[in-house]
Order: sequence, then C-alpha cells, then structure tokens
Amino acid sequence: MNNSRFLKRLKKDMPEWQKSGWVSENNARAILDHVAGQESSTNTLAYALAILGVLLLGSGVITYFAANWSEMSKIDKLAILLGSLYAAYGSAAYLLDTHHSPKIGQALILLGVILFGANIMLIAQIYHISEHYPNGVLFWAIGGILTAYLLQSQPALIAAMLLGLLWTGMESFGFNEIHFPFLIMWLVFLPAIYHWHWHGALHVALITLITWTVFTWFSIDYYWSKEGYLYLVQLYFVCYLTLFVLGMLMHTSKLLNEFADPVQNYSMLGTLFSLYVLTFPELQSGMTSYYHENYRLPAEPVWIVSTLVALVLLAGLALWHRQRVYVKDRPRYLLYAQILVSATIALIVVNLFVTGVHGSWIALAFNILYFSGMVWLVFAGMYLGNRFLVNIAFVYFALGLLTRYFDTFWTLLNRSFFFMAGGVILIVGGYLLEQQRRKITAMIKAGGGKGEAP
Amino acid sequence: MIARVILILALQTIFLGGMVAKKQYTHNTGTQILLETQPIDPRSLFRGDYVILNYTISTLDLNQLEGDNEFREHDDIYVKLRKGELYHEPIAVYHEHPGAESGEVVIKGEVNYISDQRWDQATEQYAKVLEAGIEYGIENYFVPEGEGRELERRTEGKVDIRVAVDQAGNSGIKAILVDGEERYIETLF
Repeated sequence: MNNSRFLKRLKKDMPEWQKSGWVSENNARAILDHVAGQESSTNTLAYALAILGVLLLGSGVITYFAANWSEMSKIDKLAILLGSLYAAYGSAAYLLDTHHSPKIGQALILLGVILFGANIMLIAQIYHISEHYPNGVLFWAIGGILTAYLLQSQPALIAAMLLGLLWTGMESFGFNEIHFPFLIMWLVFLPAIYHWHWHGALHVALITLITWTVFTWFSIDYYWSKEGYLYLVQLYFVCYLTLFVLGMLMHTSKLLNEFADPVQNYSMLGTLFSLYVLTFPELQSGMTSYYHENYRLPAEPVWIVSTLVALVLLAGLALWHRQRVYVKDRPRYLLYAQILVSATIALIVVNLFVTGVHGSWIALAFNILYFSGMVWLVFAGMYLGNRFLVNIAFVYFALGLLTRYFDTFWTLLNRSFFFMAGGVILIVGGYLLEQQRRKITAMIKAGGGKGEAP
Repeated sequence: MIARVILILALQTIFLGGMVAKKQYTHNTGTQILLETQPIDPRSLFRGDYVILNYTISTLDLNQLEGDNEFREHDDIYVKLRKGELYHEPIAVYHEHPGAESGEVVIKGEVNYISDQRWDQATEQYAKVLEAGIEYGIENYFVPEGEGRELERRTEGKVDIRVAVDQAGNSGIKAILVDGEERYIETLF
C-alpha cells in the first residue's frame, strides 16, 4: 500500500483502537511518527523537491537582501530577518505537530537553519562586523546542531556538518593552522547519528572528516617543514587504519553493526590514500624538490607522541577485536591482519626515528606493506561480503603498479619503448585485474560473504 | 514539538539579539573619534559590496609607543589614543585595558602579525622595527551595491571614518566622511 494512504488509514483507525484500549496514546503517537517517517519513493521525491525548494528560497532571501539593502532602515531589516526566521520554524512546528506533512516540516526546519545563518551574516553586514569572520559560520553551525538535536532533524544536522566543514576550511586556509577544534564539533555529531540511526548523516560526517584531513595537509607550511608532511601523512595512515579496525569491532556489536560498513569503507579510502603517499621514496628521503637538498630529519617530539598514541590505540582496538572473535571462529584473514598490523606498527615506529638517508629502504618496506595490504583487503572484502572494499583494493593495486612502473622505468627506458611497454601492461594488466575483480564481486553477490575467503 | 521549536527560537533570538545589542550599545554609549584611513578593495559574493578599510593605526611600530611591547599573533591589544589636530593618534599599547584619562580613548584590537623589519623605500633597505599589524573589527564597511568600487577609486578625495568606542574598548563605525563631509551615517531607524 502507498505509504501516505496507509498513514491516512492509520490516522482514521487509530482513535478507534485507542478507544478499544488496544493501543495507548503514546504508542499511537509513536506508530504514526514511525509510519510518517518511513520513505516511499513518492515521499522521497516530495522530500527532495521540498529540500530543493528550501535551498532556492534561502538563497533568494539572501540575494534579495543583498540587492535591496540600502533601501531599508536597520530596524526594518532586523524585523524582516527575524520574522522570516520565526515564520519558517513556526510553519515547521505546525506541520510536524499535526503530522500533516512531516517531510515538508523537516524541509522547513532546514529553511530555518539557513535563515538563522542569513540573519547572522546580515546583522554582521548591518553593523559592519568583521571580527574573525569564520566565527559567523561557527555560530551558524552551532545553531544547526542545536536544531538537529532539539527537533530531531537529520537535514539540520547535515547542514551543520557542511557548515562545520566551511568553518574549518576558513580557519585552515585563512589562518594557516591545523584546526583541531573541528574534531570536537565532529564528535558532537555522533550521538545524534547513533541515537536516531541517521545513515545519511553518517556518510556526510565521514566525508567531512576526510576533507578535514585534506585541509590540514594544506595548513602545513611546506617550505619550512618538509618533515611535517611525511609525519602528518603517517599519522593519518595510523588514524584511518585505527578507524577501520574500529569498524571491524563495530561489526561484532549488535548496537553498532548497522554503522560498521560506512565507517570501514570511508576509513579504508583514507588509509589507502595515505599509505599510497608513503610509498614514494622522495617523500621518505626528504628530497622532494629543488628547495630541499638535505635528507629529512627524525620526527620532532610532537609527531612522536601523537603517532605513538595513535599506534597504542590501534593495537588496543586490534587486541579488543581479537578478544571478541572467539578462537574457533577466527577466520584466516584475521590472522593475516594481525601480522600486517604488527608489521605496520614496527615500520611506523622505526620511521619516526630514522633520517632520510634510509628513505629508499623505508619506501620499499611501505611498498611491500601496500601491496600485501591490497591482497589482504580483497580477502577481507570477500569474507565481510563488502564489494566496496574489493573494488577499492583493485583500484589502488592498479594505481600502485602504475606508479612504480613510472618511478622505475621513466629514466631507465627509451621514451618510446617506455610508452609502448606501458600501454601493453595497461591493456593486459587492466584486463586481468578487471576479470579478477568481477569474479570476486560476483562471488560476494552470490554468497553474501562470510567465510568464503581463506 | 511546539515547546522545542519555541526553545530553538528563543536561543537563536537571544544570540542574534546579543549581536545587535553589543554593537548598538557601542554605537549609543561610545566616545566618537575620527580615524584616518587608506582604503583598498575586494568584493564579497556573500555580502554584496564593501570596502576594506586600512587605518593608520592598523600598523604600529611598538618601539615608538609607550606601554607593553611583547605581543604575539592573535593576542588582544589595547591601543591608547589621544586626540591630535584632526585625528586620534596612538600613544601607548597594552595587554590589558589601561583605563583612559580625559581626552584619551582606548580601543581594543587583535594582533594579526608581528614583524621585526620593514622595507624602507627611501633607503631601499630593511629597517629594524617592531611592527604589529592590528585588526579592530571595523575593517569592513558595507555600502550599496556598486558604490564600493567608486568609493575606493577616489584618489583625489580623503576618506575618514568616525568610530564609536565604548568603555570596554569595543568599536563600531558610525559614519564615513568623504572630503570631510558625512557620506554614510549609521542610524537605527
């Protein structure tokens, strides 16, 4: 039955059921809320249109004020701005409270969040306020978070996440510092995602986290601190790997299992990209550019401490996972994982204390870890029934091979031979890899994972 | 649901009201002073037209002033100003509000850079200084669309800013003067 018709029918029958004592008032409200919250394709379309409408309306309000600013007195501007905010939230409250159109109500909450930001920006404009401009976006994001929690609004939380990202981007690029306060805001998103099972918001949260790490990369002054880049990427690698192990741990929990796949997928993207960067001998030696003629130095205390803390966390979570998966059930891919994690910890610790003189050996070790990691990831993806992991393993495997081919043969071979050989390798290698990938993902699709990997 | 929406509206209204009240308090109670500027431009897509105002007190040589002289980036700084012939001019800088005597005003800012040398165009050499770049939160002025660029292209006219400074050192732009005449005036109504 169409969801809205079903809801209509329920609304009609519910008072009778309550009268008969079959359903309490609270339960009736909970059932109606639940059904109203379920998505049918029609609802999704209406929801998407409502959200688009809200975005258009929000940007229309902002540009209208920007164009007609000079013709209004301050008090008129303030009255109109606050009035539109009240109207948006008021209409949302009416629609949500009467269960009339909860989806449109949610869209209007989003409009309220947008208008709150418009109010901040336009009051700043009225009074020519320019103190530390990212703060305006910070307060806007805080308004979004409060709205999300108080009104149980996933769109408001997603808006707050994007605003948080904008805030940290402004801080990172405008003030050239690694902006850690974003992580505090990011942690605030998590209880809502967990409590209300907001999977869409979880995806956005993980994307904002990855984007934040990219921002921090650009916040380091390259010409003054070439070591900073290496140790930062190494720290990313350990942190994303830790997050991946946390995802594995979440798979063993009834409460968190539903969130495990996105956590694993996004964290593995971050892990593999960081590991890929670490395989470059130039980065490991410190001879990355014309400006850097000397080998890189061992890590400074700040990198040693932060990396060791992350490694301890990684080892702790890995051991916890080991404890939760009983010996008789433990598949072989987990035994290989223990070897890989141990090798990773050893390599990272050594790399903190050596200079760039040993850069090529360290890079070689990271390359071995990289390609072994890819093979392991295919096994893990097969066992977990996660095609995404298998697919990215193949993509990174191909990327790694291609990069090493360029690294190794670019200067050794005649250019025309280099390109011809490269072309042949690409065609044949690509065909073989794609065949394997299709075979494995088809196996996962047919078997649903769990136990098919060695 | 209604109660929670009212709570959200109350919190957001208090915040927005606070923004307005803080600036309006400075405008209504602050001492009015005149500051000399050297405007330069950009344009913000989000905010419409505005000019960036660069005051003569935006860059100070701390060695030439009384008070404290050890500042770092992002430190709060209190600049004591005394009325000169036309403009208020800096006489001392402090980490804490020093209090102001008659004829003096203390304006609060934030250090955005510290430099120990400055390029001297006359000698074509770096000169030893202890220079602080300071922002007072009055560096942007929004004007009707299209007028910002015109205001900044004026090479013959002199642009001065009348600023209100309250007892805590917070400041707000009251008026823009072009060639000594008030061109834009800030009023609530």
